[in-house]
Amino acid sequence: MGRIVGIDLGTTNSLVAYTDAETGQPKCVPGPYGDTLCPSVVSLDPDGSIIVGEPARRRLLTQPERTIYSVKRLMGRGPADVQSELKLFPFRIDSASKNVIRVLLGNRVFTPPEISAFILRELKNWAEALFGETVDRAVITVPAYFNDAQRLATKDAGKIAGLEVLRLVNEPTAAALAYGLHEKQRGRVAVYDLGGGTFDISVLKLISTTAGDIFQVLSTNGDTHLGGDDIDNLVQSHIQQDIMDCYGVDITQRPELVQELRKALIAVKHRLSENEEAILRFPLPNGAVYGTGFTRAAFEEWIRPVVERTMGPVKQALADAHLKPADLDEVVLVGGTTRTPLIRRTVQEFFDRKPHIELNPDEVVALGAAVQANILDHGVENMLLLDVTPLSLGIETYGGAVAKIIPRNSTIPASAQELYTTGVDNQTGIDIHVLQGERELAKDCRSLARFTLRVPPAPAGLPRIEVKFLIDANGILQVGAKDLRTGEQHSIEVQPSYGINESEIERMLEESIEYAEQDFAERQVIEARTESESILTATAKALTNPQAAGLSAEERAKIDASVARLQESVAGRDYKLIRKRIDDLNHATEHLAELLMNSAVSTALEGRRLAEV
Amino acid sequence: MTSPSTATNPPLVCWSCHERTFGTHFCSSCGKLLQLPQALDYFALFEMPRKLCIEMSELEQKFLQLSWKLHPDNFVNATEQERELSLKHSSELNDAYRALRDPVGRVEYLLGIEGARKEGEHKQQAPPELLEEVFELNESLDELREAKASGGDLAVLKTRLESAEKNFQDKLGQVDAQLRVTAREWDATLQGDPATRKKIMAQLNELLNRRSYIRNLVTNVQKELL
Repeated sequence: MGRIVGIDLGTTNSLVAYTDAETGQPKCVPGPYGDTLCPSVVSLDPDGSIIVGEPARRRLLTQPERTIYSVKRLMGRGPADVQSELKLFPFRIDSASKNVIRVLLGNRVFTPPEISAFILRELKNWAEALFGETVDRAVITVPAYFNDAQRLATKDAGKIAGLEVLRLVNEPTAAALAYGLHEKQRGRVAVYDLGGGTFDISVLKLISTTAGDIFQVLSTNGDTHLGGDDIDNLVQSHIQQDIMDCYGVDITQRPELVQELRKALIAVKHRLSENEEAILRFPLPNGAVYGTGFTRAAFEEWIRPVVERTMGPVKQALADAHLKPADLDEVVLVGGTTRTPLIRRTVQEFFDRKPHIELNPDEVVALGAAVQANILDHGVENMLLLDVTPLSLGIETYGGAVAKIIPRNSTIPASAQELYTTGVDNQTGIDIHVLQGERELAKDCRSLARFTLRVPPAPAGLPRIEVKFLIDANGILQVGAKDLRTGEQHSIEVQPSYGINESEIERMLEESIEYAEQDFAERQVIEARTESESILTATAKALTNPQAAGLSAEERAKIDASVARLQESVAGRDYKLIRKRIDDLNHATEHLAELLMNSAVSTALEGRRLAEV
Repeated sequence: MTSPSTATNPPLVCWSCHERTFGTHFCSSCGKLLQLPQALDYFALFEMPRKLCIEMSELEQKFLQLSWKLHPDNFVNATEQERELSLKHSSELNDAYRALRDPVGRVEYLLGIEGARKEGEHKQQAPPELLEEVFELNESLDELREAKASGGDLAVLKTRLESAEKNFQDKLGQVDAQLRVTAREWDATLQGDPATRKKIMAQLNELLNRRSYIRNLVTNVQKELL
């Protein structure tokens, strides 16, 4: 058996972590660039290979139509669900998509679990490179508020990546595990987790018993489509409109410009977490440069609606746990978006206590996943996790109403039995529709599955079939039926409303192995080529800028020579040479990069590379 | 015709070692998880008598202790059959804890396993002594809906409904108090004669129906007042 890891499969970034055998502490695995964060971006190279992470993120600017980010937003959802997302995200959905969304990268079609599997496989590679051993099992985290279909899709992604998914763990619960181990916290803890695309709030009770520590989740709530992405979209639409108003340029028609602006605005957002002011300068295709200053106060006014949307779930989770804000002993902040000062203030004011931020908010979920992976690998020794189902499970009854059979916040595994009989003589089937959600009507809840119970012909009312609905420790539904007259067990094949079937998963697994069969050197070549591509594009573009006239003839010649040498090296397969030539070109274009900056900001950007500007 | 008053588990044969075993969850002979006997009710699962007044901290302690042993996290590397059994045991445990820790859910569950829970025709019917007040309440609700639709003055109607809501909340409190008294009566007659026990169960059933009726009213009013 190979090694086991914990994986945080995030909207913006993904991480992999393990428990260090010597110290017993969880640790994140660094990638080839030394960073533990792997951008959740996947790109299909024109040569047919798949590129994941940082090199793929750069391709968002150069090859947006072959590159996808934030795919987590599409997991477990149907084409009809994502119409609103499509207005804000450059997803290219295959029009032939029926139940399962299919996304186009270049001219190839992938399901969201397949794309997530590419990310998982990349992380698996990172861990294998570190261990020098194979990794075949994983604990993967999911937003606590993920429904059954979203969880299934995540589990499928694991399978496609060649991983046995031992457990799906809720992200805030994983964070609590990491904090519990780190701080030895006890009592009632609220975890506020605002990531790139999802928001969760969980309330836990940490109990010390003679056998060990129990992490009991009391309640959870959230929004699986609320996160840093929404802040970015909000700010971006303001700025795009402003560019339209001031310069009459509609950049929404240019995917690469949209991505470039997005990148610049994210940098502004990050700067505003540290500073009171930040400046955006954005070169437009007509040669003009759009420039604007942001103050933190004005920025906070823009994003306030997003922050306020998190407070409804927070209040509901507290009400469900029968607690008031003052009843909590600790509050923990998780997720990169909680670096935003407005969020920290809002949470602090609501709970009237300073939130914990000791652990890196980007890493804490992966660390917790590694803790749980270790528990599962070695058996429950001194820590036990009792989690809950975030949404009520119901079945459709007469008139399109929903009867709740497992209420939200029930500790999982949880089950419920329902007794069914026939309404007319010799009826051979009973239709059952399983739903998830809090609303009273079936049409307002999430459809999980529909199936037909087969019944032997008999007079009406005589058959007695007991159906057992069980939510397992992953938060995933299982259904079984028993004929009470004969005692016979029926297994029920439940085809989830938005899932992919087993044979498709098998096929995807085989295909993903093909993609993965590139050795380390080959991947290095691809990554180096990708990087050179983005710097070559940036250089060519910069040279057309009027500011480039400020270069001396000597400088210009040096750049041209460096470009030619880099282009020459890209044709070969020596990635070390390509990397060296990239460095040379970066060096040669330093003055050019400075020229492109306004004099007011140029000092702050000294030494920056052209591709970063 | 007496119903069992304390938990007694029939001996059964272990699926793994084939010995006769006397454990509730684990085989007394080989220590493996047992098949759950069909007859095991939630009280028996916690090895508690069928009493309605439960010491909550004791129930929680037992729940946590059993969770340590039964949770699927313990069986990740076990055989498929043991994994299945752990899933069954731990889901039953969680279902049982969910039902028993809520005082009303506990009464409902007890009546269910004693065969004394009857919702039926009483569900939609107003208890006779409440008829007049319910009639008034429904009238006020109709007026409020009309006023909302036509943009009329809501303030007076809202105040009237708020005081009606408070009135019914108080009644809910009274029902809960009665439930507690009757629950103690039930506990006192645990070994008593079947006729008395039957009478108490009928009272409990009546109280539950009354409770759910009033609760529905309150929820409806709250929805309109939002």
